[in-house]
Amino acid sequence: MRRLMGVLAIGVVAALMGSTAAKADQLAEIKKKGTLIVGVKTDYPPWGMRDASGNIVGMEPDMAADVAKRLGVKLELVSVVSSNRMQFLQQGKIDLMIATMSDTPERRKVVGIVDPVYYASGVAILANKKANIKGAGDLKGKPVCALQGAFYNNELQSKYTGTDLVAFKGIPEAEQALLDGRCVGFVYDDVVLVWKKAQDKKWEAFDVVALPEWKPVPWGLAVKTEELSGPWGKFMAETTKDWLKSGTLLALEKKWVGSNTQWLIDASAAAKK
Amino acid sequence: MTATRNHASVTSEGVAPARGESGYMAAAFTPRVLAGAFGLVAVVVLAGEAWAQLNSGAGQAGIMTTLWKWTPLILFGPKGEFGGFVLNIVVSFLAMAIGTISGLVLGLGLISKFGPVRSVAWAITQFFRNSPWLVLLFFVMLLTPFQIRILGLSIPLPAWLKATVGLALPIMANIAEIVRGAVNSIPTGQWESAESLAFSRLQTLWRIILPQCVKRMIPPWMNWYAILTMATPLISIVGVNDAMTLTQDALASEQRTDLLMPMYALLLLFFFVYCYPIARWTIRLERKYAVRI
Repeated sequence: MRRLMGVLAIGVVAALMGSTAAKADQLAEIKKKGTLIVGVKTDYPPWGMRDASGNIVGMEPDMAADVAKRLGVKLELVSVVSSNRMQFLQQGKIDLMIATMSDTPERRKVVGIVDPVYYASGVAILANKKANIKGAGDLKGKPVCALQGAFYNNELQSKYTGTDLVAFKGIPEAEQALLDGRCVGFVYDDVVLVWKKAQDKKWEAFDVVALPEWKPVPWGLAVKTEELSGPWGKFMAETTKDWLKSGTLLALEKKWVGSNTQWLIDASAAAKK
Repeated sequence: MTATRNHASVTSEGVAPARGESGYMAAAFTPRVLAGAFGLVAVVVLAGEAWAQLNSGAGQAGIMTTLWKWTPLILFGPKGEFGGFVLNIVVSFLAMAIGTISGLVLGLGLISKFGPVRSVAWAITQFFRNSPWLVLLFFVMLLTPFQIRILGLSIPLPAWLKATVGLALPIMANIAEIVRGAVNSIPTGQWESAESLAFSRLQTLWRIILPQCVKRMIPPWMNWYAILTMATPLISIVGVNDAMTLTQDALASEQRTDLLMPMYALLLLFFFVYCYPIARWTIRLERKYAVRI
């Protein structure tokens, strides 16, 4: 019995040591195990979603597949949500996170966000063509649909429309109001609006007009903090640069979102120089 | 209508105990109950269908077609992965097994003659009985690593397994209370008689008291099983691919508000069809094992 306890104790100690031992080189480790595990979203179409047979598809899963192809390893996709994606990465459950995550200074303290960023979402308005809106300056005195609690609502109202916004809780309600003509346009994330317009014929009489008054929020893919300056972080930085330079991201955006956003066109052009 | 329904359900309950053990499934799913459950879902679906007709028009698949399309995924999970409603059931089984075994040990600790053991068991029971399940789940999920290494061998700890342990903890504490209550409910005469026959405390407990407890514990034990099963969608919050997560993924992928109610109604139906017979069976056993004075 006592010997058994001794063996168990050694086992526990070994387990503790094993879990705390620092991994020297994640890139080498991924190649060694032959599988790349990437955390992606499954609730954010078209960037990450499930099809009816349960496969995870979308723009970000395609990016993950490209990383695996470059490494010559198999790809395993893990479904993450906003609340657990950073923990999964830091715990080592996933090697890489491409999960529609906005790049913020707070998040940079927790995970290693790779530069350059691969995407960004700005603010835009899906406007009725008849209203002839070319920018935020044309919104004065007009009814504009928006979502409650969006960070730009306050400024939009005080600086540009000068009148109360028609604010809704959910996207479908705001869309319906726009179609019913209760407002001239719906202000929301540009990438989602571009996707919606490309997806559905009912938006034929509407245009997505960028509102550069609000700076685009970049989306970053991330590796473990301690890997950022290591071979793995560098490999991902090079990969992202190449994606921008070669137009891979533009092609993927075209495929999934339906049309290209100004930010990505500009970023890809800048990478070529 | 209400009066008739009440009358009918009383009758079916009254009849149930008279049937044999094997007749229980049939007794639980009387045509009336089944019709009611499916009727409820049908109403929700039809209302959704009508709402869809009013709001969108052409180009969208019907609600029934869409529900049917996603049903295999929600029931059995993604291909080649462990998930869906099957995962909810497996998690409920495992959590109940772990909770029952550890709860039995803890419950015996609660009635120990040795003071310190009793105090520790009491503290553990109170802690886990009075903590919110979701908070316990988060604790277990975040405190345990995703894999452990023993002697160079790395053993992965999948999220669903951690979630199972998280759910087993409150079950353990509640089963412990059931054990304690059952042992205390056995008349002291049993203990005294056993003592007079020179049984040791352990022998008395194991051979005389606990066998009598079993049938008293079964109804509340089953009750906790049903509660546990209905609580398993909680694990969706900690990132497990259970039926709830997949329902939400399906909804996100469809991007249609008219699907919200029908989709959740379908999920509800899965749980209802599984848990309702357990509830009926519990009532039956309660009646059967009721202590007659």
